[in-house]
Amino acid sequence: MTTQQFLTSAWTWNFAVLVSTGIALAAYIRAFGMNRRIGYLLGALIVFLFTLSSPINALAAGGYLFSAHMLQHILLLLIVPALLLMSLSRSFSFGPRRWLISNPFVGWICGVGAMWLWHARPLCNAAVSSKLVNAAQISSLLLLGAIFWRQILAPREEERLSPPGAVLYLFSACVACSILGILITFSPVSVCPIYAQPAADQQGLFNLIQSSWGITPEKDQQIGGLLMWVPMCLIYLAAIIAQLARWFTHPVGAAVAGVHSQHLGSPSATDQV
Amino acid sequence: MNGDTTITGTIAHLLTPAERRHWRLAWLSTVDHKRIGILYMVIGLAFFVIAGIEALLIRLQLMVPNNTLLGPDTYNWMFTMHGTTMIFLVAMPVLFGIMNYVLPLQIGARDMAFPRLNALGVWLVPFGGILLHFSFLASGPPAVGWFAYTPLSETPYSSQSGVDYWAISLLVLGIGSVSAGINFIVTVLTQRAPGMTLRRLPLFSWMIFMNAFLVILALPILNAALVMLLIDRLLDGRFFLPFGGGSPIMWQHIFWAFGHPEVYIVAIPAFAILSEIIPVFSRKPIFGHEFVAASTVVIVILSLLVWAHHMFTVGLGHTVDLFFVAASVLIAVPTGVKLFNWSATMVGGRVRFTTPMLFCLGALLQFLLGGLTGVSHAMAPLDWQTKNSYYLVAHFHNVFVGLIVFAILGGIYYWFPKMSGRMMSERIGKWVFWLMTIGFNLTFMIQHVLGLAGMPRRTYTYPDLPGWGWMNMVSTIGAFFMTAASILFVWDLVRSLIRGKPAGDNPWNAWTLEWATTSPPPHENFDALPPIRSRRPLWDYANPDRPDPVVPVGGAIDTFRPEKNAAGVITFIISEAGFFGVLILAYLFYNATPQSGPGGRELDVWKTAIFSVCLFASSFTIWRSEIAERTGNHGKMKAWLVATILLGGIFIAGQGLEYWTLFQHGVTVGLNLFATTFFTLTGFHGLHVCAGLIALMIVLGVAFSRAFKRGPLPALGPVALYWHFVDVVWVFVFSIVYLWPLIQ
Repeated sequence: MTTQQFLTSAWTWNFAVLVSTGIALAAYIRAFGMNRRIGYLLGALIVFLFTLSSPINALAAGGYLFSAHMLQHILLLLIVPALLLMSLSRSFSFGPRRWLISNPFVGWICGVGAMWLWHARPLCNAAVSSKLVNAAQISSLLLLGAIFWRQILAPREEERLSPPGAVLYLFSACVACSILGILITFSPVSVCPIYAQPAADQQGLFNLIQSSWGITPEKDQQIGGLLMWVPMCLIYLAAIIAQLARWFTHPVGAAVAGVHSQHLGSPSATDQV
Repeated sequence: MNGDTTITGTIAHLLTPAERRHWRLAWLSTVDHKRIGILYMVIGLAFFVIAGIEALLIRLQLMVPNNTLLGPDTYNWMFTMHGTTMIFLVAMPVLFGIMNYVLPLQIGARDMAFPRLNALGVWLVPFGGILLHFSFLASGPPAVGWFAYTPLSETPYSSQSGVDYWAISLLVLGIGSVSAGINFIVTVLTQRAPGMTLRRLPLFSWMIFMNAFLVILALPILNAALVMLLIDRLLDGRFFLPFGGGSPIMWQHIFWAFGHPEVYIVAIPAFAILSEIIPVFSRKPIFGHEFVAASTVVIVILSLLVWAHHMFTVGLGHTVDLFFVAASVLIAVPTGVKLFNWSATMVGGRVRFTTPMLFCLGALLQFLLGGLTGVSHAMAPLDWQTKNSYYLVAHFHNVFVGLIVFAILGGIYYWFPKMSGRMMSERIGKWVFWLMTIGFNLTFMIQHVLGLAGMPRRTYTYPDLPGWGWMNMVSTIGAFFMTAASILFVWDLVRSLIRGKPAGDNPWNAWTLEWATTSPPPHENFDALPPIRSRRPLWDYANPDRPDPVVPVGGAIDTFRPEKNAAGVITFIISEAGFFGVLILAYLFYNATPQSGPGGRELDVWKTAIFSVCLFASSFTIWRSEIAERTGNHGKMKAWLVATILLGGIFIAGQGLEYWTLFQHGVTVGLNLFATTFFTLTGFHGLHVCAGLIALMIVLGVAFSRAFKRGPLPALGPVALYWHFVDVVWVFVFSIVYLWPLIQ
């Protein structure tokens, strides 16, 4: 099989994935109607479909590439839930403040824990060998990701962390995930041994990956660790930049608005001393 | 007025009348941030002389081909001591001095949050410096370069004590830097004047605040590396020795995880100085304050992420290189944003080319080149060609001298009038600037070419290849220009201190609060503060008809003012977490595959579990003690405190017992990698438990002392926080060291 053949043929359309996408779209339109924010929802659904239907899934779920699994992991934990939250109408609320999802520590533990937990060796292996565990993994990533991002992207301003708090929240999450990424990158042992020797080469991709792409199991694990270490932190960093923009532009509780507007002209004027 | 009385006049500035009788102690025992700031700078200047002479010796040796002025060993000593001294004993102390002087004034504070800790920090600098230089009298200084790569710095290859002095002195300096970083953070959080919200912080203060986070996050990584190296050298550990299964590359990772942020630890204060001076002499507020402020945060975070670009030639593999090329190029973006902002500030402004402004302009242009060659080093293939050549030497000197030294000189010319009450000479200042600029560019510009022509760094001499001789000669001549500039600068300092024109409160018509008090400021800094509604309070004060737009108060966090001692302990805990993080990662890395000889399985899990329960229980008892303190029940508080100390003591006794058993079975630090990592990790945790116990006993002693017999005991809360932290660390250590082998 050549790379081109693989890229065109390895698309799989899972029934459950398609149905849940449709349900999400229908539920959104029913709840909020058509509005500008539906773009975020469409983005989320496209990323979701891409993650679970494209050749990435063939490589990850087929037990071929740990790095493909890691890419899925990042997209499902960080990108899809974030876009989903951003698609919600600004007046939407998660109802009365429940301690479990409104506590930032819980949110942080969910986001970081989802990374660490699923890379414990037995769970990581089981997610490949068992369809059921795989489904549990996907849904838990989406759920935990949403709880994590809620602290940053909740539709209502008052349900979010303050910008400096959010920067600390995101930065510490970046550090916690980097540490795992560093461990995986430099670990002398296999983190997820099932990828190191794909039990049954069902789709006949082994040759393609090892010979044409030159990805050995060691290199594969390195790429996986590095994906978690560097690009994943860049996602957090992008969110941090958004928080800084919020911090410096958002005039929360501007008490002296009158003075504010009165002298808007002067700051850029050259001083005449 | 003759010279004599003027000198007396100057000394009158240095000491208050009450202090003249005990003048020896007035500066030695000071806890005033202004004096401590000046002490930092004076100590830095003294080491600058030493490291400068070392640099001159290096340049003299390289002046002509096949020179024999310095032998290879002496040459190795010189570049090692030059690099180490310039970074840790010149750049950091001088910048910390400027921050120490300016930051509290700029935020309208009376002093730093912890004045005594501040004094500890400054006196650790000469202590560390003397330790380092004592190696000259012992068996000779270190000869391993400023980053002391293993295994060269290990006992088999550097058997003399130079590296030990190097490591211990950096440990001392690292501890001092962390203490200063904690102090800066807590000062900004708790000592700001009323109205000075976090969003109204002037750029200099904001950037120093951000930089302090980098200090407390990065320095502990170096400290961890140093203790590991010392354990290798002094206790026959095996961390970085290849034949014991250790990994020399590990040292490079840990060192550069500190080393790359370190570049920014000294560069961000330089950026901060530029951001302060350029607007003042362009007579305009900085262009895009928010962008400069936010890009600083981004730099702080990115700088912790990209260290592996120092290791492209190590052979980490294309995969690793590729990711770090991308991340390293990214860091040029926030830095570039700053350059654009500074340039845009000058556009349309009425630029006044005073000496401070000239130095900043020089810094800006030279850093542009240093930054661009930095991007070229981020490209792995190019890096393979130019690594460890004079191209690299030229690059980092463009940053360290071209940016940082120039910014420091600009900063001193700018704030000297505030510190002394006298102006420095504009005429001499311009001489210093031009001599320095010509000298700097003569010395280092040509080294780019030398590097591309293949001249390697750190070799004591070179053959007479075409062009090499004259280019090195040019470089050496440039070094003498810089020497002349430095001598002239020191002369100007002394001259101005004695005979400078009186400066007045605000000689530059600047806008931040340090100019709202007398020069030099009184001991308590301010008699009264102008109202603070924007980032330029003095502009608003002087131009009531057209003030800056009010920076609105952005919610509770903007006026956030935590309790000082708790904030200090939490900041300290963050820094300690970094230290333990490195030790834990090292443990995981080295024990991922079972060792030959004893390993984690041989440990007595159950016995340790029982002692661990005692430690965890002590977290509960100290919590009860805190509750009793809050409700005013003094007897209960003391009882729970005693229980905490007992439980902690039992844990330590248990640890001692375990060590004793292991020693009995011949398991010592040097036996294998498991033993080395085990004793390091649990040993440092035990050390922290002991420190916590001492703190608890002091609190208990205070509780029994007369003054606190009835009233509240404010020290208990912060100590309890630290105690909880020690317990949390043990949760991780216990799970990894004792429980992990059970499931492995």
